[in-house]
Amino acid sequence: MYKYKLKRRSFIKSSTLAATGLIIGFTYDPKKSLAAKTKIKNELGIWIRISPDDTITLIVPSSEMGQGVNTSLPMIIAEELDANWESIRTETAPANSDYKNPEGHGGQNTGGSNSVKGFWNLLQETGAAAREMLVTAAAQRWNVPLEECDTKLGNVIHKNTNKKLSYGKLAVAASKIEVPSSPSKKSKEKYSLVGKSIQRIDVPEKVTGAAKFGIDIRLPEMLFATVRQSPIFGGEILSLDEVAAKAIRGVKAVVAVPNGIAVVADNTWRSKKGMDALNPQFTGGETPHLSSLNIHNKLITALDKEGKAKIDTEKSLDLEYEVPFLAHSTLEPMNCTANVKENSCEVWVPTQNQGMSMDVTKEITGLNDEQIKINTTLLGGGFGRRGETDFVTQAVTISKSLNKPVQVTWMREEDMQHDFYRPACISRFQIGLSKEGLPIQWENQLAGPSILKRFVAAMGWFGVDPTSTEGANELPYTIPDFNFDYSLVDTGVPVGFWRSVGSSYNAFFTECAIDEAAKLANQDPYEYRLKLLKDQPRYLKVLEKVVKNANWVDPLPKNHGLGLAIHKSFGSIVSTVIEVSSNAPGIIKLQKAWVVIDCGKVVNPDIVKAQMEGGFIFGLSAALGEEITLKDGRVEQSNFHDYSILRLKGSPKISVEIVESGSEIGGVGEPAVPLAAPALTNAIFSVSGKRIRSLPLSKHGIVIA
Amino acid sequence: MHSLMINGNTHQVDVEDDMPLLWVLRDELGKTGTKYGCGIGQCGACTVLVNGEAVRSCNFPVVAAEDKEIITIEGLGNNHPVQQAWIEEQVPQCGYCQTGQIMATTALLFKDLDPSEKEIEDKITNLCRCGTYVRIKKAIQRSAELIENQKG
Ligand code: FES
Ligand code: FES
Repeated sequence: MYKYKLKRRSFIKSSTLAATGLIIGFTYDPKKSLAAKTKIKNELGIWIRISPDDTITLIVPSSEMGQGVNTSLPMIIAEELDANWESIRTETAPANSDYKNPEGHGGQNTGGSNSVKGFWNLLQETGAAAREMLVTAAAQRWNVPLEECDTKLGNVIHKNTNKKLSYGKLAVAASKIEVPSSPSKKSKEKYSLVGKSIQRIDVPEKVTGAAKFGIDIRLPEMLFATVRQSPIFGGEILSLDEVAAKAIRGVKAVVAVPNGIAVVADNTWRSKKGMDALNPQFTGGETPHLSSLNIHNKLITALDKEGKAKIDTEKSLDLEYEVPFLAHSTLEPMNCTANVKENSCEVWVPTQNQGMSMDVTKEITGLNDEQIKINTTLLGGGFGRRGETDFVTQAVTISKSLNKPVQVTWMREEDMQHDFYRPACISRFQIGLSKEGLPIQWENQLAGPSILKRFVAAMGWFGVDPTSTEGANELPYTIPDFNFDYSLVDTGVPVGFWRSVGSSYNAFFTECAIDEAAKLANQDPYEYRLKLLKDQPRYLKVLEKVVKNANWVDPLPKNHGLGLAIHKSFGSIVSTVIEVSSNAPGIIKLQKAWVVIDCGKVVNPDIVKAQMEGGFIFGLSAALGEEITLKDGRVEQSNFHDYSILRLKGSPKISVEIVESGSEIGGVGEPAVPLAAPALTNAIFSVSGKRIRSLPLSKHGIVIA
Repeated sequence: MHSLMINGNTHQVDVEDDMPLLWVLRDELGKTGTKYGCGIGQCGACTVLVNGEAVRSCNFPVVAAEDKEIITIEGLGNNHPVQQAWIEEQVPQCGYCQTGQIMATTALLFKDLDPSEKEIEDKITNLCRCGTYVRIKKAIQRSAELIENQKG
């Protein structure tokens, strides 16, 4: 558990209005913070602002990328504060280490499904502290004991007389009261917001087009740029035709950026036209001869070197599973807007990583924290891609060289070919079954590239990477002899965090392997898992619920099949059943999916449901048709015509149930993703008898009806 | 110079004939509710209505839009039945695709207030990377009901 202390901050001065009121913030205990803390700008570290006009502004420390944090995090503060939800406004936090996730790794960023999980305690205490200060202020004003005061919907009420004062009216007085060090939190029975499906704050603006994503930033005199980078990773410019580019109407400049070149114009389309005319050719690079086949061979060589384990049981399995590289393909392509001036710099960016965005901006401009402002816009999807800063580097570099505000927008082709891809991996199993058919020996060897190595070099030296092995290095099943090995294999392809990371493939490998073991033992996949989970009550509950919802035991219509999977990631257990039908070989219809999640505690059930639906579809899309392949050192896919994402047609109906176990809170943004591939391949096996061990399914002639 | 009729107002834009309507809307006229996703007609993020038809504006040259009635998401206002349905069903996640989904739905229901499931699947082909399809389907049906009621 980290420590922080609640601390009152000085008021923000404003020349136009007396912005007085209650401003509450806190800062990390310097002893616990990794970097030594220098002076903080006085408006930072603030979490709640209550103005005399009764509006309450809550600062959201995480990036809103669709997962609903602009609603769920404020709900936690508002609950403890007893605020009127209608009076709540939200703002995304600026870049400052005060806003880093207590459970996060490194700096201020959003990922790992840990926004609600990581901030829950801290936001509760912040809200509770503010409430206590407001109550104290009211009690002093009325000259009554604290116990006679209560709060409701943004008012302090004197119980005996029914007098009331709104938070806005008390804000100034409350700001002079000592911040309580351990404010008392509400008991769960008194919750009126947390646990309710409150409508999302960001939905109205997202249906009118008013919502501002990074790509929508417009500044006076802003120029528009697009980039082209070496298709072979790490290559350099060989030739370009600057004269031709500048002959295009509206083109203003050609600027070198790391690993590529930018064309700057007076609108995005002209910058693209300018880029086509510039026709940059590249040379060299780190991966000239790379192909999907030689990456596959490299992984196999590593696994061969590791060798297979010997299994002595009568019944045994020897399996090999494989997954490809995947692109994030956020629907809003990478972009960033920067305005670098001599003594200041402002950046507008859809980012999951304010901390690193600040770092790269500092490095390029030579300015310090005080001179740089990082504004987080809405994110048109993140999925891990926006934890990177390559696009920030480009925007800041170009703006600095031109001394003008510049927006860099990647064309889809760049976005597809210059991602940090979900690693391609191969996983082998040798499994020995007991006389009763249960696995008594489980040998699993995984080979794949490491993501963390890029951030923590030491991982590479020791050949470990917990993000690559999560979801396979331990299983919930009771298996007496369990062994897992990981071979870290560098492939030369940039890899990164992709929604659900290691679990995105390890759940596919392990949950299909278990199904294969059940088949070999001639047992029902559900009953088989039941036996192996008998010491895991949380898993059992989720499993039993999902099979009940899906009527697993009932007979199915002809040519229908069910597939089951269960997996824990980011602290949440999810189990799914999917029903498919097939009336012709290879043609599969996804009839319906049932998802059950135990995420411990729930802030907003409808947001959890939305994340289950969306996460499951995201996983299905990858399993069905997504694949990044390499040839001659470069990515072959370039847009949505050759990188196939699931559409409405073919998407199944999804029913979601939440188990509120009261256990430690888990994440919800990622945990549904890993289940889709194993549930679906298990269902395809059940309907067709065809066991598919590599993705995507489209490679095996599977077509979705 | 091109004369465009957008959301009931006339705009003069001095751009090349082949500039896609998408970029005219976004970069010349500041109507950023219409989004760029692919530039090749694949994703539907850029969907607008041209004479009542859903059109992917990223590969629709501005010259072809002259003398036609263009409606963008901004032209729906903020209380259109399709928007209401989208709020009721809490469809958007990141929201980036949703303005395009709403425009495509508006065009579909304009022609047929009682589309079959197959028709919905064939006509609403916009990508949503966040996977909101389950709710989009519900919201389309709800939109149709709300429009019916309004006619009522
Ligand atoms: S941007 Fe027009 S269809 Fe994708
Ligand atoms: S809501 Fe994010 S792409 Fe559709």
